[in-house]
Amino acid sequence: MRELRFHRELYRGESVDEAIKVYAPYATITPVEHETHWVVKIESKSAARERKIGDEMANYALGLTIRNQGV
Amino acid sequence: MSTIEGIPADVAHVDLDEKRAVLELDATLYPVESLYSAAFVFIDRHYVFLDRPDAQKLRIVVTPKKLEADPEAAKEQLRGVVGELANELVTAAWRHQITQENRARIEAVTLQAMAGSMGPPSLDDLEDFDFTDEAFEDPLGIALSWEEKYAKKGEAKAEASEGTADSPETSDAAEATAEAKGEEE
Repeated sequence: MRELRFHRELYRGESVDEAIKVYAPYATITPVEHETHWVVKIESKSAARERKIGDEMANYALGLTIRNQGV
Repeated sequence: MSTIEGIPADVAHVDLDEKRAVLELDATLYPVESLYSAAFVFIDRHYVFLDRPDAQKLRIVVTPKKLEADPEAAKEQLRGVVGELANELVTAAWRHQITQENRARIEAVTLQAMAGSMGPPSLDDLEDFDFTDEAFEDPLGIALSWEEKYAKKGEAKAEASEGTADSPETSDAAEATAEAKGEEE
């Protein structure tokens, strides 16, 4: 299992939620409530696949966050 | 984990096992907007992950989507990524600072553009407009009309010619005055 911790001051919650929706068909993705981070647990067939999905999801969440910031 | 030559290990390092480069930044030097801006440049060729380990620090983790197979070449590639990212961060931070400094000017220009796009004033607007006010103060007399400016010269010459009729002495004095006025103008 791979765990991603998106800091709440750097990532928009809506962007993380959207990223979870997009990559949900490729792995079991579980969001977990945390005080300072949006924590996401990813489970898939292999560690390599979990890593790949995690990386892609993080990029997607960051891209959406930046787009909504208007930078 | 290996360090990068010329950069302290607590600022940037390369992790070959995880195939990534990690850069730690002082949050007081780099605003979050510059972090986003720099990250956006890298997002197509790398996986970028941002974090804030504490209130004063920001962390960027960059993993190239395609990394060299040879460990030495991979290390060199990651070093290059760190250098490029550091440069991009400085550029973004500087651009952000300029934007902040020019914010008032940008807002004024935008406001003028918006006001201009509203079109010419209607007849009712012009009827209500108060034209009695002075346009602006001009203590140095710069805003003279062409007629005002050259009428003085004409008047001075006319006075000078009148003086010639009276006496030669007064005509010389009048010419000198006219010349002096011309020089002043």
